[in-house]
Amino acid sequence: MSGYDFETLKVLVADDSRPMRSLIKSFLLGFGVKEMYEAADANEAYEEVKSNEPDIVITDWRMPPTDGLDLVRQIRMDMESPNPYLPIIMLTGFTELHRVKQARDAGVTAFLAKPISAAALYRRLCTVIDDQRPFVRVGEFFGPDRRAKRRSEPYMGVERRRDAQ
Amino acid sequence: MANRPQKFQPPNRLAKKVKKSGGPSAEKAILRALNAAEDLIDSYQGWAVDDLAELWKAYEDAHAAGHDAAQIDKMFEIAHAIRGEGGSFGFQLISTIGDSLCKFLEGRKELGARESEVVKVHILAMRAVFRQDLKGPQPSMERDLRQLLALLRERMG
Repeated sequence: MSGYDFETLKVLVADDSRPMRSLIKSFLLGFGVKEMYEAADANEAYEEVKSNEPDIVITDWRMPPTDGLDLVRQIRMDMESPNPYLPIIMLTGFTELHRVKQARDAGVTAFLAKPISAAALYRRLCTVIDDQRPFVRVGEFFGPDRRAKRRSEPYMGVERRRDAQ
Repeated sequence: MANRPQKFQPPNRLAKKVKKSGGPSAEKAILRALNAAEDLIDSYQGWAVDDLAELWKAYEDAHAAGHDAAQIDKMFEIAHAIRGEGGSFGFQLISTIGDSLCKFLEGRKELGARESEVVKVHILAMRAVFRQDLKGPQPSMERDLRQLLALLRERMG
């Protein structure tokens, strides 16, 4: 049985931890992704978005002195953003419900809790690729429809399944 | 008047670009990913020892500085990084202890002598996990440790 073919996918990985960036890139390489970019903070990441136009961004939340949420807002709202619809997976050790809501309200597509596993990352990539939600602009928010309840909607809660390890 | 939501259907570039067949099965892709990361996972303990040394130094600096908010923030930053990395590299217990330490430190402006001992216990527990090489899933130990650390935070915090 064959599965998703990730060979043509371009992915940007933003995390201030070099070991985490390396681990995620190794997982992606194993999934078949050939083109990857990396950044250690939100400013660097946004420059990569503008110059390399990745298909998916996987970003950490806390990247002192910057913040993954700032990156999300820049991608969604900045006039210079090459793709405001860019799928963004927020990767973080913060798993409290109010944090998940905060990420969702910034315009994140999906949420993946650290510690991560290859299985959990694979599942998130698949759900993001299948995501058909419309985007909504209301007030200061621009992002995937937070009210959509479609089968393809990525799970925004915390990944706790043991088989994800 | 409240803003009316505007809806846009984004061009589904990813669905066009990524074929849903032709690649390896999910099981094979995940296995390949684990194989690709094998060397990194083996190297993690070396990096983690450096992180732990940095955490210990932050703890000692905090002690010397009278545990002000900036020093506590620094310890939180390191503990937050450790909790994210530990389980990702196979040391689930490190994430459990790191998570407990983050819960203890988050939002604190100062640490007294008793609270400082709680931090020390967490760091020593992490050291013990690496010394004993307690890698991989340890569900019962993880559950016990989580309860024990929660009790410690409650009694001493």
